[in-house]
Order: sequence, then C-alpha cells, then structure tokens
Amino acid sequence: MKKHSFGSLAFMSLVLLVLYLPIIVVVVYSFNDNTARIPLAFTGWSTRWYDSLFEGRGGYLDALWLSVKVALWSVLISGVIGTLGAIGMTQRALDGKRRSGWFDAVMESMVTLPIMIPEIILGLAFMVIFNALGIRGNEARLVMAHVTFCVPYVFLSVKSRLVGMDQSLFDAARDLGASSARVLRDITLPLCRPAIISGSFLALAMSMDDFVISFFVYGAGEGTLPIKIYSSVKVGVSPVVNALCSLMIAAAFIFAALSRYLGAVKKARSSRNQMGLTSE
Amino acid sequence: MKANQQDRRFSLLLKLPMYLWTIMFVFVALLYIIGLSFLSRGERIGITNEVTVSNYARLADPQYLQVMLNSLKLSVLTTLICIVIGYPFGYLMARLKPTVRSIIMLLLIVPFWTNSLIRIYGWRILLMGNGPLNTFLLNLGIISSPLKLLNTDGAVFLGMVYALIPFMILPTFTTVDKLDFSVVEAARDLGASPLRAFFTITVPLTMAGLMAGCVLVFIPSMGLFFLSDLLGGSKSVLAGNLIQNLIKSRDLPMASALSVLLLAVTGGVIALYRKAGGSAGELGLF
Amino acid sequence: MKKIMALILCLCLSALPLLGLAEEEKVVNILSWEGYVDEDTLNAFTEETGIKVVWSPMESIDEMLLKISQSGGEGYDLILTSDYSLDILRQEGLIQKLDKSKFTNYGNLNPTYMSQFYDPENEYVIPYVSGCTLIVYDPEKVPFEITGYEDLWNEALQDSIGTLDLDRVIIGVTLKSMGYSMNETDPEILAQAKEKLMPLYKNIRAFGDTESYAALVSGEASVGFIYASFASLLQTDAPQFQVVYPKEGIGFGIDGFVLTAASKHVDSAHAFLDYIMNPEVAAHNAEYQGYTNVNKAAEEYLSDAYWSNPAVCIPDDVMKGSEIVQDVGEAQSIYTDIYTAFKLQ
Repeated sequence: MKKHSFGSLAFMSLVLLVLYLPIIVVVVYSFNDNTARIPLAFTGWSTRWYDSLFEGRGGYLDALWLSVKVALWSVLISGVIGTLGAIGMTQRALDGKRRSGWFDAVMESMVTLPIMIPEIILGLAFMVIFNALGIRGNEARLVMAHVTFCVPYVFLSVKSRLVGMDQSLFDAARDLGASSARVLRDITLPLCRPAIISGSFLALAMSMDDFVISFFVYGAGEGTLPIKIYSSVKVGVSPVVNALCSLMIAAAFIFAALSRYLGAVKKARSSRNQMGLTSE
Repeated sequence: MKANQQDRRFSLLLKLPMYLWTIMFVFVALLYIIGLSFLSRGERIGITNEVTVSNYARLADPQYLQVMLNSLKLSVLTTLICIVIGYPFGYLMARLKPTVRSIIMLLLIVPFWTNSLIRIYGWRILLMGNGPLNTFLLNLGIISSPLKLLNTDGAVFLGMVYALIPFMILPTFTTVDKLDFSVVEAARDLGASPLRAFFTITVPLTMAGLMAGCVLVFIPSMGLFFLSDLLGGSKSVLAGNLIQNLIKSRDLPMASALSVLLLAVTGGVIALYRKAGGSAGELGLF
Repeated sequence: MKKIMALILCLCLSALPLLGLAEEEKVVNILSWEGYVDEDTLNAFTEETGIKVVWSPMESIDEMLLKISQSGGEGYDLILTSDYSLDILRQEGLIQKLDKSKFTNYGNLNPTYMSQFYDPENEYVIPYVSGCTLIVYDPEKVPFEITGYEDLWNEALQDSIGTLDLDRVIIGVTLKSMGYSMNETDPEILAQAKEKLMPLYKNIRAFGDTESYAALVSGEASVGFIYASFASLLQTDAPQFQVVYPKEGIGFGIDGFVLTAASKHVDSAHAFLDYIMNPEVAAHNAEYQGYTNVNKAAEEYLSDAYWSNPAVCIPDDVMKGSEIVQDVGEAQSIYTDIYTAFKLQ
C-alpha cells in the first residue's frame, strides 16, 4: 500500500483536477467584468453579478426556489411512499413461511425501473400522459414526475437496510404482543432512519439536478433551475448563473464538510464511550 | 392464523401507495408510449388515430439505424473509458487511509450537488476556440494555432465521461471497501505477483461493483441529448437527440417507437446484468 | 384501513394541482425565448401596472408548438413567436382576436409590418420586431468574396460555418439558391432541395444561435448564417465580420405576440401589449435585441448606432427581393423529414 501511494495519489489528484476544471471556470467567470450581452472573454474582476443575483435579476433566484420547492415536495412524498413500500415488501418476505409472489417480484422491478431506463423515455411518457389527463399545474406536473424517479432511491436504500437486519428483533416484539403498527412505529422506522435519510438525500440531489425529465414535463410558468440554465445557454448565459452556481458550490462544500465533521465527532464520541478506544 | 392474516393486510397496506403510484406512473405511462408508437402523426399538430406499424418499419431506415449504432458505439466507448479511469480510482480510494479517503469522497460528492448543466457549460467555456485551454496551450508553445475542441464529437465524448464517471467510481469503491484483503494477501503469500493477485482475486471479487458501474454509465449515456446540444454544436446525434428531435418536430408516435426500441435495448442490458448475478439494489445505492 | 389509505392518497393527488394553480388576476403568462423582452421592460411594466409577468422560456419554435398543441395553450396568455408559427396557431384555432379598443398605442405600429399572411385583417397579432437572416463572414479568413447562399456550399468553407438551426430557414435558403421560393410545397422540388442540402453539412461547424455566435467570436467559424440580432452583436464584439445581403434574395421574418384562446388573463395581456407598443419601450427593445423596429412612433427614439447598423437597416432595394417564411401546411412534414435526415449525417 505504501509503495504505490505516490503514483496513486498523483493519478487521483489528476482525475479530481479534471473533475473540478469546469467548476473552477464557472467560479472564475462569475467574477467576469465583461458586460457584453453574451460575454465570452474574461476581461477583468468584478462582483457585479453577485449584486445582480441578489437583486433578483434574470429570475434565477425564482428558478432556484421552484427547484427547491419541487425537490422538497418530491422527497417528502417519495420518502413516505418508498419507505412504507420497502417495509411492506420485506415484511412479507421475512415472514418465514411465505415467499413473495410473482406480483411482488414484478412490482419490485417496476418500482426501480425509472432509474434504470434513459430519462428521456420517462420524460416523453410523462409529457403525453399528463396532457392526456389534463394535468396542467406546472408544479404538480414536476412533483409527480420527480416523485416517480425519487421513489426508487428511497425504496432501494431502505430495503437494503431491512434485508440486512436481524429478523428476531421483530419476532421478539410480536411475541411480546406488539401490534403491527406498533412494531412499525417503535422498531422498524427508527431502525430504518439512517437509510431513509441517505435515500432521501440522494433523491433530493437527483431532483434538484434533473433536467431531461423536467424539460419535457414542465408546463406554463418559469422553469426549474436546470431548465432556466438550459434556455439561458441557448440565448447566451448571463454570468448571474455563474454567480448563483458558485454560491451553490460553496454551500455544498460547507454542508458536506460540516456533516462530515459532525459525523466524525459523533463517531469518535460513541466509540470512545463504547470501548474506550479512539476512533480508527 | 388470524394474526398472520392481519400481518398480510398490514404489509399490503404499506405497499399500496407505492404500488398504485408505480402502476400509474410507470406501468401505465410506458404502456401509453407503446400504444402511441402504433399511431401516426397529424399533418401539422397532434396525432391521428389510425393504427399502423409504419413507425417500426421506419426504424429499419438506415438513417435511424446509423444513429442507433453510433449512439451504442459512443456508449460502449464511454463505459470502457469510465472503467479504465473509474475502477482504479474507486479501488485506490478504498485503499486509502480513512482520513484522506473521506476528504476525497467529499471532493467527489460535492460536484454532484452542483448543477450538471452548469458544469457542462464550464467545459464549453474551457474548450472554446479562444478559451482558457487553448490560450494555455498556445502560451506554453505546445500548439501554434488554436485547436478545434468545442463542437466536435470528442467534446461530446469528454462531456459524457465527465458526467458519468462518478457512477463508476462509487460502486467500485463500495465493493472494494467491503473486500476482505486477507484473501489477496494469501494469494501474495502463495507467490502470486501483485498484478496477478489483482486480476485473479480482486477483480473477480469486486465484479458486482464493476458491473453495477457499467450499467449505471451505459444506460443513461444513450439518452443525454443536452450534451450534444451544448458541446457538440448540436451536430453529433445520439439516440436521445434523435428522440428529442422527433418530439420537437411533433412526431410523437415515431419518438415513441424509438423509445420502445431504446427501452428494449435497456431491458436487454439489465437482463444481462441480472443474469450475471447483479441486483437492482446495487444500482440505486452505489 | 385500506380505504382510508386510498382516500389519503386521493386527497394528496387532488391537492397537488392546487400548488400550481394559485393564480391571481394580475398576472400575465408569456411563452417565448428566454430574455426576448428586456427584463427592465418587464419590471417597469409590473411597477406601472401591478401586473406580474411570468415568463415561460421556450427553447425553439418547435418546442413551443409542441407545448401548445399538447396543452391547448392552457396556462399561457401570450405567445411571442415567428410569422409562420403564428399562422399555424391561428389556423389551429389556438389564439383569439384582440380587442383593439383596449389599446392606446396601436396606431404607433408601422403598416409595413402589418396585414401579413398570418393575419391579413390585423385581428390577432401585435408585431414586436422584425429581422432578417444574414450571412456574415470574415474577409481575412475566407479566400473569396461571399455574395449569396450558393457560396455557402463552397468547398473552401469546410467545417467553418456557424448557422441558425431552423428547418424552414435552412431548407428555405437551399430552395432560394436553386431559384425557388422558400415556401415551396412541390414534393419533387423539395426532393431536389434535399439532394442539394445534404452536402452542406460538412461545411457546418455549429448549429444554433449562441453556438454559432460563440464560434464566430472565438474564431472557430469564419462564416455565419445567423439572425440579424446576432449580426448586430457582432458589430461591436467582432467588427471584422462583414454583413452580406445574399443576392438570391433576403429572407426575413416578423416576430409577434398573440393571445391564446385559453387565456384567463385577457385584460392583463392587453395591458402588456399596449405597454410593448409604447414608442420608447418599442425603441428600447428593438435596439436591445438588435432587430428591426416595427413601431413608426418609436423611430425618433432610436440611436445613431441603430441607423448605421447594416443588420437592422436593410436598404429598400434589398427588401424588395425579400421573402418571408410561411406555413406550408401538409408539406411541413416533408420539411421536417428533410431536416432530420440532414442533421443525422
């Protein structure tokens, strides 16, 4: 491990550098002083685009707000549907006597299908079906579409947690006379919490970033942030977009670092408490 | 017995919302697409109600076949490059010290949280004729006139690898992380060279992650139409572009027929994956 | 229990549309290209009237027609789009007549840009700007003089043209280079045009408006076939480019507003249109977009730069030979197929 660590670090740094190149460009160009209608060249440093952003120029903040709203609704709904679905499915399978039937097997494939097939197919499908059903509200259309591809993330996350769990826990509770609802509330759900959270975060990220499906689905009204960015690229991107995205990158970093830090602190504390050992 | 029945009812109740949602928005929606593919487009706007298989006949048109083949070729190539770069990356990452590892993980995850379109737009600026990359190379004296980078097939390919490589790295990382390295060490003790140990022990044992990565890279790569819009000058055409063009020209039945074809290709890939022992769970969790 | 769950689900589903339908009276929903009316104008309008403007961005005319045909126009009040698509919207009954008694600025419009084929009686459309499609080229980099469409096929231009990306216009100029009308419907002539068009592909560096513009400014492309708006921008950003009025005849178009038949904010929409016809607003937006002004009363507010810009001030003798893209009815599907084949090479 020691011996190839220099070469491997160099390789990894190179990959990461390439991964970050466009992000660096986006951040640098957010400070571009160029005020041409379609600014292409970097002409100097300025923070004017950040001012414009906070003045609400270009409607990018509104677009971000729409994205956030849609993502939160989608995660909320898919979180409930996906978690309950995963619990319902595994409960039957863990029962011991009954194996899950063909219908469950088919449904399981069907549930995960939205993240397995190219997005454009679902986009087309949602577009025609929403129009056939006469669903016009922009946000409703977006939320319904997003819930559909968010459910699999939550479902898979919770299900893998449950499958790896010791069945005797539930059996013990049932033997002691707890009702199904009680087991669900007091045992299953708390045990699934980490899986629900991680699945929801993944779903949140996917919803915020979705362009292909949203592009076909969105109706009358401003688009989500990705749609807004795409239509801006088509007519010439204002550096306001760069400013917004730079701030989002910064926020993501702070959030990620903070959650790592808090996680590490918690872990260190609990392992010290449990075994008197320092963490790793 | 009674308790058992209650249990069953309860779990059915838990599953019901998900089942209903899935039937409505996945099953019915896809059936609708299949149905639509047997109709034909109206003259200016809309769809006529004549049932026809002509859309499928048109799929055999060399023009469409060519696009599907090109698209497949690009997807396969993207998957290969993602393996070549992503697998070692995921592997090395899992072998790092936990502290370094968590930093790299963080660096890898954060771009996920930033809009993928804006990152592609960053590439656009970078690759422009008078953009930073060309300027840099010119200043170094490596090239004497600006290279044609943007609006080429190469740029689309780059964008695709760029957008999808995390989906190769993460599943690889997860499986390598779970790997019991004492097996590898045993092989080494028995005299296997590092390379041999790697290819005969590590790779087969981490096949699950590698396969999940391939599926996660290969499938979306056929549909990412905006990459060719933004990096390829709307020139190079993927299966996704073809469908998008057809939707734009309001030929929804033909777009549906192509979607069905794409669905079949995807289904084939997933079936292969399942047959090779992969599970859906690996795909959603990396 | 099951019933309760189903009920809850139904309630959830039925409550969802409410999220998107919380409409106030004082709003106007516009569907058009992103930024096609200056944001300052929109804000000033909202300030003056209290009517909020919701701008739904569209990527292309095709996307707009798809959206409108799918939704019947519900949710949108005004659509700002180009000539032939205005005609399609009218013929499909998707737009309604305007109530001119609600306008105070209607008389400002320049009659030259009215009574067009898409609206012969001036009942439906408020013209916004007009513009030509132009060839621009950098004489330093192109070894010969470009005078017309025919030159775009020249082998010396391999991989060096940035062009707009609209089927009707690209096929239209192909027809023009062969001496036909841009609105040809004869399948045989169109088949010939297809033959002619296909080899143009290898000369094209980038499709799309901003793609081409960026390619021109950055020096990747030396020839552009672009809208006047982008030619206007080049005047300041890359003055080495020379504007050519193609000798086969210039193609021009008019972009205008129409009111959807499904509009729920008819009064607000009229107020917005009246505001757009205000001379100062019209002058500002024509200059801002780099297109030709269609408002007679606005002329006194236009700057010198406007009057000296060859991309927007087209000489009368050039305009005489101009042609406008019109709806071709059933032949549209032939155009679509040709263009798809062209792009798929």
